[in-house]
Amino acid sequence: MTAFAVEVLEPAGAAGAAARSHALRARLGRLAWIAPVLVALVVTTLYPTVFLLALAFSKSTLGKPFRGFVGIKHFATALQDPIFLAAIGRSVAYALATSLVQLALGFLIALLFTSLLKAGRFLMSLVLLPLMTPPVMVGIAWKLIFAPAGGLLNGTLITYGVISEPISILGHPTLAWLAIGVADLWQWTPFIVILCFAALSTVPESVHEAAMVDGANGWQRFWHITLPLVAAPLSSIYLLKLILSFKLFDLVYILTFGGPGFATTSAGFAIYRRAIEQFDVGRAAAETMIYALVIGLVTLPVVRLHQHFERREL
Amino acid sequence: MKPAARHLWLGLAAAPVVSFFALPFLYLIAVSLKTKDDVLNGRFWPTAPTLANWPAAFEAANILGFILNSVVVSLASGLVTIALALPSAYAVLRLKIGGKWLSDVTLSSYMAPPIVALIPLFFLLKTTGLLDTRAGLVLIYGFANVPVAFWLLMPFLRRMPIEIEQAAAMDGAGPFRTLLQIVVPIIAPGIVATFIIVTVLSYNEFLFASAFTFSDATRTLPVGISLFQGDRLVNFGQMAAASLAGIAPVYLVALFMQRYLVSGLAHGGVK
Repeated sequence: MTAFAVEVLEPAGAAGAAARSHALRARLGRLAWIAPVLVALVVTTLYPTVFLLALAFSKSTLGKPFRGFVGIKHFATALQDPIFLAAIGRSVAYALATSLVQLALGFLIALLFTSLLKAGRFLMSLVLLPLMTPPVMVGIAWKLIFAPAGGLLNGTLITYGVISEPISILGHPTLAWLAIGVADLWQWTPFIVILCFAALSTVPESVHEAAMVDGANGWQRFWHITLPLVAAPLSSIYLLKLILSFKLFDLVYILTFGGPGFATTSAGFAIYRRAIEQFDVGRAAAETMIYALVIGLVTLPVVRLHQHFERREL
Repeated sequence: MKPAARHLWLGLAAAPVVSFFALPFLYLIAVSLKTKDDVLNGRFWPTAPTLANWPAAFEAANILGFILNSVVVSLASGLVTIALALPSAYAVLRLKIGGKWLSDVTLSSYMAPPIVALIPLFFLLKTTGLLDTRAGLVLIYGFANVPVAFWLLMPFLRRMPIEIEQAAAMDGAGPFRTLLQIVVPIIAPGIVATFIIVTVLSYNEFLFASAFTFSDATRTLPVGISLFQGDRLVNFGQMAAASLAGIAPVYLVALFMQRYLVSGLAHGGVK
C-alpha cells in the first residue's frame, strides 16, 4: 500500500509515467492471482469477525440488528450464565477426550492395516465410507441403534439377558454423551486411520531392517523407531481432530437436541439456539467470541507441541 | 511366528474393526426393509422383509427434490472453490505472490468453528437477497471450502517438477496459460480428489443449510432428513430408507473415486 502511494506521488517525466503505469499493471496483475482467496477470506473470516464484534456490543435481534450500544453487557451476562459456561466446559472436555481416543484407536488400526499390506489397502477404501456419510445420516443410523423401543443395542442386550427392560440411552445424561462419542468415533476414526497410514508409510523400510540386524524386537522397533518418526504428524493429526471436534453440532442436533435437559448441549449448539430460536443475536455473538477465545487457548499448547516435534525433526 | 499364522491373527484382529464400521450401514438397510411391527422386536434383520418403506418415504417428503438441491448446490460450489483456490495456490507456491502469510492466514481461518460465521453470513445473505436461495448456499460453500482446497492442492503442486513450467515459460507461455495448459493436466488427479472432497463437504453440510434455507425448493438433503425425524411420523423404516437414498450418491462417488480420494486425503493431511 505504501509502496504504491510512493510510486504514484513521485514526480517524473512522461517516460517515467509509462514505466510507472507498467509497474502498476504488473502489480495489479500479481494481485489478481490471489484476489479470489482474499475475497474468500474477507467473506468467510474478516467480515464475520468484525460483524460479530459489532453485534456483541449492541442490542441486536435476528430481525433488527444494531439497535443501540450496550457495552460489555452481553459478555457479562454470558460469563455469569452457568448453562453457557457448562456448555463450553462440555465442548472442551468432549473435544480433548474424543480426539485422544480416536487418535489412539486410529493409529492402532493404521498399524494393523499397514501390517496387512495389500488387504490393508482394500480395507482402507472400505473404512472410507463412514467419513463420506453425511453427519445427519450418521446421527440417524446411530439413533436407530440406540432407540429404546426396537433399537439394535437394547434388543441385543435383552436377548442376551444383560438387561430385562429397555433403557433410554439418549435420555440418560452420561449415556447420551457416550452415544454421541460413539457416533463421532464411527465417523471420524477412518479419517485418522488414513492420515496415520500415510504417516506410517513415510517411515523407511531400511531403518527397520537395520534395527532388526541390531537385534531389536518388534516392540523396541515400534517404541524407539516408528513412534519418534511419526510423532510430528501424529501431533498435527491430533490438532486437526481437535479443531473438527470443536465444530460438533450435527450429531447433537439429531441424536439428543442438547438433552436431556441441557446435558448434551455443546457450546456450538447453545449459540445456535440462542441466535436461531431465541433471536438474541447480540448475546449469541458475545458467546461466540468467548467460545472462539477458549478454542484458541485450548489448541495453543497442542500447536506448541506440534512445533516442538517439527523442530526436533530438523 | 510363521507369516501365514501372523496373517491369520492380523485378519482376526481386523474383523471386529471392519464389522464395527459396517454395522450402522447394514442396520440402516435392515431397518429400511422392516414393517412397522418388525421394527419393534429389536432384531437385526427383518423377519418379513418388505420394500414398502421406500416408496412411502419418497411420498412422505420431497426426498428427490432435496437430493437434487444437494447435488446442484454441492457440484456448483465445488467448481467455485476450485476456481478460487487453484490460481491462488499456484501463485503462492510458484509465482511467490502473497507469500507465507497468505497460506498461514488461509489455513488458520479454517480453525474457527463455522458457528462463528453463522450469524454474520445470515445477515449478508439477507442484505443481498440470497437468503433461502440455492445460489446463496453455492457462494457460501464455495468460499468456505477454499482453505480446505488450498491445503489439499498444495502438495500436488509442490511435487510437480518445476522444469516443465520453466520450459513452458521459455516457449513464451504466460503464467496463466502455463497453469491452464501445462499444470492442470499434470495435477488433474489432485484437482479431481480436491473437487470430490470439497463437493462431499458441501453435500454433507448441515449447520448453514439449516439456518439459510426454509422452503422445500431450496432445502438440501440433510435439512430435509432432519425435518423428517422431527415430524409426527416417526417411522423408523421410512427414515432409514430416506437416509440411504441420501447416502447413495456419496457412496457411489466413493466407490468409483476411492483411489483419488485416499491419495488426496493422505497427501493433504500429513505434514
